[in-house]
Amino acid sequence: MNIFSSLGIAIKALRAHKARTFLASLGILIGIASVIIMVAIGKGSQQEVMDVIAGMGENLITVNAGEMKRRGGRLRLTGNVTTLTVRDANRIMDEIGEVERVAPFEQKSMTAKFGNNSAETTIAGSTIDFPIVRDYKLKSGDVFSERDVKTANRVAVIGMTAVKNLFGEEDPLGQVIKVHFMPYKIIGVFEPKGVDTNGLDQDDLVLIPLSTYMRRIANQTFITRIFVKASSRKNIAKASKKIHELLRENHKLTDDRNDDFTLVSQLDIEEMKKETTEMFTKLIVGVAGISLLVGGIGILAVMLISVKERTREIGIRRAVGATRKDIVRQFLYESLIIGFLGGGLGVALGVGLTLGLTHWGNWTLILDLNSIWVASWACAGIGVLFGVFPAIKASKLDPMVALTTE
Amino acid sequence: MNLIEMNSICKSYRNIGFETKVLKDVTLHIKEGDYVGIIGPSGAGKSTLMAIMGCLAQPTSGEYILDGEQVGKLNDRKLSRVRNEKIGFVFQAFHLLPGVSALENVTLPLVYAKNPPGNIKERARELLAKVGLEHRLHHTPGQLSGGEQQRVTIARSLISDPRIILADEPTGNLDSKNGIETMKTFDSLVKEGKTIILITHDQEVAQHAGRIISILDGQIASDSEVNHEAQTRSL
Ligand SMILES: Nc1ncnc2c1ncn2[C@@H]1O[C@H](COP(=O)(O)OP(=O)(O)OP(=O)(O)O)[C@@H](O)[C@H]1O
Ligand SMILES: [Mg+2]
Repeated sequence: MNIFSSLGIAIKALRAHKARTFLASLGILIGIASVIIMVAIGKGSQQEVMDVIAGMGENLITVNAGEMKRRGGRLRLTGNVTTLTVRDANRIMDEIGEVERVAPFEQKSMTAKFGNNSAETTIAGSTIDFPIVRDYKLKSGDVFSERDVKTANRVAVIGMTAVKNLFGEEDPLGQVIKVHFMPYKIIGVFEPKGVDTNGLDQDDLVLIPLSTYMRRIANQTFITRIFVKASSRKNIAKASKKIHELLRENHKLTDDRNDDFTLVSQLDIEEMKKETTEMFTKLIVGVAGISLLVGGIGILAVMLISVKERTREIGIRRAVGATRKDIVRQFLYESLIIGFLGGGLGVALGVGLTLGLTHWGNWTLILDLNSIWVASWACAGIGVLFGVFPAIKASKLDPMVALTTE
Repeated sequence: MNLIEMNSICKSYRNIGFETKVLKDVTLHIKEGDYVGIIGPSGAGKSTLMAIMGCLAQPTSGEYILDGEQVGKLNDRKLSRVRNEKIGFVFQAFHLLPGVSALENVTLPLVYAKNPPGNIKERARELLAKVGLEHRLHHTPGQLSGGEQQRVTIARSLISDPRIILADEPTGNLDSKNGIETMKTFDSLVKEGKTIILITHDQEVAQHAGRIISILDGQIASDSEVNHEAQTRSL
C-alpha cells in the first residue's frame, strides 16, 4: 500500500469528523500562535531596549566619578569623589586615538523660573560636543558656541519636557529663564528623546556651558561624569581600556588602590540588558514548551478516543489485508495532519496578530522567522510523538479481537 | 494436496477469572476445490473456527497449515497478504466500513493489494450487480437493509478473486429469492475451482455443499460426504 492511499484514508477519516479534528488541532494552534507572538514581543522589546541604548549616544562610554556598585540590578555611585576633572576629559580627548569626542558633564536638580511659572528640572553643564556625544538633535535655535563656553555666558539649550513645564505652548527661543536668581537666555531647543535605559526622562533638561555651570551653579572644580564617544563600535573596548589606564595614571592610583571612577560603555549596558532578555527568552521557551505539550496531549486524547471508537474499522481493514504498518501509518498520518493543520493555522494566527498589532496597535513586535520554522517542526514532532502511541496500540490487536470489540 | 490442514487445534479465551474453551482438539483437512458446509448449534464454535481458518485469530495450540505454509510461523506482513489474496470473508455481522459507500466497501481489499488490477471500480460494479445491488452503489451501510449489507459483504469477498471463501451465515438475512441467488453464485464459484467453506444453520443451504461437518461444543461431531444423487432421487 502506498503513501498516497494511506494519506487519502487519513484525510477521509479526518473530514468525516471535522469538529473533532479541529478541536484536536486547537491546542497546537493556540500553542504555536502564542509562541510566535511571544517571540515577536520578546524581540520587539529587545529591539526597543537596544534603540534606547543606541539613542543615549552612539558608541558611548560614560566615565562616572567614584566606584559604582551593583545594587538591586542597577549601578549606583558610592561615596563623594572629587577627583574627576575637566583635565581628565581633555587628556582623554587629546591622548586616545580611539576617542572621537568627549563631553565633561555635571548636573543638578534645581528650580527654573519663567515669569510666574516655575518647574523642577535638571540643570546640566557641558561642552559644545555634548549634543553630538549624547545624540541630542536640535529642534530649533542653536547650541552654544565655543565662545559662550570660554566666556561662561548665561545661555541655555532646553529639552522639550522643560519647555512644556515652563513655557506651555509659548515659543521659548530668545526668552529668559531664571535659575538660582540668575537669568539665562534660551538659544536652542532639543528634539524630544524619550527615556534612557534607567527610565529617566532625557528631555527634562536645561543645558548650559560647563564653565557657566561651574562658576554660577556649583562653584567647584571637579565633575561627576565624562561622556566619551568612541570612534567606532569596534573601538569601544579598546578606548575603554585606554581611558581606564589613563585615569589611573592621572589620579596617581598605585597598583593596590581601587579605581575612583567607573567606566560604563554601551556594550556593558547591552550586556546587562541581554541578561534580562535572555531570562525572558527562557520564560518564552518554557511557556511555549508547556503549551505545545498541552496541544500534544490534546492530539493524544483525540487519537486514543478515535482509535478506540474505530477498533472495528481497524479489524475490518486488517481482515481484508491491511498490515500492522498500514494501520500505524493511517493513524500516524491522521495525527500528523492534525499537527500540521493546527500548526499552519497557528502560524497564520500568530503572524496575523503580530502584523496586526504592529500595524494598528502601538506595539513593537518583530516577527522571527526562526520561531516559525521551529514551531512548524514542533508540530510535526508532536503529531508523530503523540500519534504514534495510539497508532501502535491500534495495530497490535488481533483482527478477530478488533472485529468483535464492542 | 490439502489446501487447509488443521491438526489438533484448540482455542480458548482467557478472561478475568475464567477460561472459555471454544475449540477442543479440532483436526480437519480440506482439499482445494472442496465445498464444505459447517453446521452446529449456536455457540458451538463455528465462527471461531472460521476466524482461525482465515488467519484472523491464532489458535491457542495445534498446527494450522494453509496452502502448504505453517500459519503460526508467518509474520504480520505475510499473514496480511494471505488474508488479502487467498481468502474472501463473508462475516456473520457483515463488518462493513460505516459511512463509506457500497462501492468503496467492495473495493476495500484492493486498497491493500500488492498488485491491484486497473479496473477496480468496474469490477466492483459488476460484483454488486451480480448480487442484485446495481441500484445501491452509493449507499452507505447505514442506508442499506440487513440483506443488502450481507450482499455487499459477499461482493467484497469476491473482489480480489480469492481461492478460498469463508462465509459465515451468508444467507442468514436474505429472503428466499436472494438466498437462492447467493447459493447459485457459490455453486458457480465452486465450478470455477474455488474452495468454499460455508457456515449455516439452514439444512437446505448445507445441502449445496459436497461435505458437511457438524460441530458440537467445540468438537467435530460428524464429517460426511453428501451424496447428491441419492438426494435428488429421494426428492
Ligand atoms: N472473546 C471471547 N471471550 C470469551 N468467550 C468467547 C469469546 N468469543 C467467543 N466466545 C465464546 O465462544 C463460543 C463460540 O463462539 P462462536 O462465535 O464461535 O459460536 P458460533 O458457533 O459461531 O455461534 P453462532 O451460530 O451463534 O454464530 C461462544 O460460546 C462464545 O461465548
Ligand atoms: Mg457464529
